[in-house]
Amino acid sequence: MTEFAAFKKMKELLTNYYFEAKTTQEKPIAWITSGAPVEFLYAMDIIPVYPENYAAMCAANHQSIELMEAAEAEGFSQDICAYARTDFGADIRQGGPAAGLPPPHFLLCSTNICKTVIKWYEVIARKYDVPLFIVDTPFLHDGLTPELIDYTVSQLKDLENFLADFTGKPFDRERFIEVLALSREAADYWLKMLNLAKNIPSPFNSLDTFIHLGPIVTLRGTRECVDYYKLLYEEVAERVANKLASVPGEKYRVLWDNLPVWFKMRDLEKFFEKHKTTLVVTTYANSWGGYGSYSLDSIDEIYKSVAISYLSPYINTGFEERIKYLAQLIDEFSLTGFIMHSNRSCKPYSVGMYRLQEELSKRTGKPGVIIEADQNDPRAYSDAQVETRLEAFIESMTGIN
Amino acid sequence: MFKPFHDVVTSVSRTILEHEKNLGRPVIGVMPAYFPMELIWAAGGYPVQLWGNNLPLEKSDAYLQAYCCSVARSVLELEMRGLAPMVKAYAFTSLCDTLINLREIYRRIFAKPTIELSIPITRTVAARQGYLRSVVQSAVENLEKITGKKITPETLSEAAQLYGRTRALQRALYQIRRENPGVMKNHDFYTAMKTGFFLPADVYNQMLEDLLKGLQTRPVPEGKRPKLLLSGMVFDPLEIYAIFDELGADIVDDDFANGWRTVSKENLQVDNLTDGITEFLFNPAPCCCIYNPDNDRHPYLLNKVKESGADGVLFWYIKFCEPDAFDRPQLMKRLKQEGTPVAFADLELSMSNFDAIKTRISAFCEILEG
Repeated sequence: MTEFAAFKKMKELLTNYYFEAKTTQEKPIAWITSGAPVEFLYAMDIIPVYPENYAAMCAANHQSIELMEAAEAEGFSQDICAYARTDFGADIRQGGPAAGLPPPHFLLCSTNICKTVIKWYEVIARKYDVPLFIVDTPFLHDGLTPELIDYTVSQLKDLENFLADFTGKPFDRERFIEVLALSREAADYWLKMLNLAKNIPSPFNSLDTFIHLGPIVTLRGTRECVDYYKLLYEEVAERVANKLASVPGEKYRVLWDNLPVWFKMRDLEKFFEKHKTTLVVTTYANSWGGYGSYSLDSIDEIYKSVAISYLSPYINTGFEERIKYLAQLIDEFSLTGFIMHSNRSCKPYSVGMYRLQEELSKRTGKPGVIIEADQNDPRAYSDAQVETRLEAFIESMTGIN
Repeated sequence: MFKPFHDVVTSVSRTILEHEKNLGRPVIGVMPAYFPMELIWAAGGYPVQLWGNNLPLEKSDAYLQAYCCSVARSVLELEMRGLAPMVKAYAFTSLCDTLINLREIYRRIFAKPTIELSIPITRTVAARQGYLRSVVQSAVENLEKITGKKITPETLSEAAQLYGRTRALQRALYQIRRENPGVMKNHDFYTAMKTGFFLPADVYNQMLEDLLKGLQTRPVPEGKRPKLLLSGMVFDPLEIYAIFDELGADIVDDDFANGWRTVSKENLQVDNLTDGITEFLFNPAPCCCIYNPDNDRHPYLLNKVKESGADGVLFWYIKFCEPDAFDRPQLMKRLKQEGTPVAFADLELSMSNFDAIKTRISAFCEILEG
């Protein structure tokens, strides 16, 4: 990985975060999906805990297989999302880098990343006998409509009532607006940092961003998160000023679509470095930049803009929107090609990808490749197959120099 | 007695083409699950339900990965092979991630229009009502564009009667099966159910009425035979029911999305269509694809076992169906705790070798026989 001084800070932040979550006696714990409106929780002093984030950590630490096997032994099929299986296993074994997650007092789930999370959280809700609040964000086949926004706003206001009932204190709207401002500021820094990869050579690669997105997922809405991304942004900007490349001799610049292959980060990095290829931009890391557009002008505008943000993640949008966005990234980041990860564990990202690849290549004239893999399950990954496909893809690209 | 049903199921295309010609209504292919046929009929369409098929998957691999369920893959295969020329448009619901994206694929590779009934699963009742109202309105408008005809209170009422009658007759068939295990072969029963996917409702209703009359005097096999309840999304492949028949096992009830979960729905209330469709989607039988904690699958299934007198439950798992797969372990555990034997079989619609499944069913039946 590209060496950043900020990395140490991030480790410290995440260690503190997990430590507090594991040891708190006063604050309620909510398990929450990565696309759920966390700002409501921070406003009420509730600690959000992210099973997805934890599952990724388990895989990056090469612990996912044993945990998934524990879940599979309880009857969970290998067909279901490997994040869910890893977390079920971590819960059964109290395993993984933090020895399991602290038990939840309630669950908050949004359908903007998939419908699978409903099923996943239903299993948890039943196991722990805790309430589950779902913010339903229907798929945007044809973009946003006033009805979709009203639908979501109405649920967000109901979430406030739920939190007030749960905590026994009124929803703190003033604090909520402060949290939103912090969330927006952090997302702004995150996006500004990601956009620095438009520079040639790129000062970082996308595998770095996968590592550094921990705080924007888990701590979005806190001062620490803003401070961290300010620090990271400044460090990356300095690399740009000094023309420091993430991959020395950068020849190819590519996009990565879908989640990372968490258990193969190091190997893939070495592979790409060897081939003078920088992963410059990803739809996945960019998703958390989408929370930088909250309006804080009036109460109505606030709710509307929060609803829009949470309705609009890339994978909750129709294919026309996706192709337009991907083509725009290819253009703005001066890319030479794109990689799509057909991820067995993530159907919303992956189903339809073969068609998207065809159309995107046609529209942009850039070559693309699809690799068959899984975000968390090493048993669904073949080094030889992936490398052969990537090598052929790299040969098909025209380099930047 | 069941021959007319078998004839339909073995010649689906010809059957649909004949009725399309007679009716002069455009055929609308209905994807899984819970899109009210009533809306399509009321708009002047002829709905046919597509729950997958057993075509070898050759062309659909170009667009759907092997980790998508065989329902989605085989339905796409049908259209890609050009085997559904009579289908003029497709109706979807937002049942699962695969079907949501499948609609996007259809929109990009085929010229046929698609419509979607997005199912809002929020617990915020006012939000759900408001959004569903707009969803229904949009579905109605899009259907009217496809058929060129308006839905009127009269056509809607007629459609509600027609399809309500279908489900009432199907419920009567379920009741006969439940009360008289073995009175009809399992294979015949599900063939009769499947027939309803393809026929105009009035034609199908007449066939069911004739069948129900004929069944009244039918003898029931003697001796103790294992009684099963099946649970899953899709009751295909039909071939497997011949295995139950061969083994002398009786399916006395089911919890299939295209079986009892749909059949149990009362007449669609059309006075307030939003409320009517809400009721239609969420009740009375719970489904793994529709979040509804007010209607918990655990007590529901336990009660169903009790009421049907089933000796055990076989979970009928079409591979890669995540909603079904997530629910199963806890459901199986609960049933076991309550003393109900359980087993599961994983299946693909395109499977052609049934030896392994036969062994599994046979072993489970032996357990049930004690």
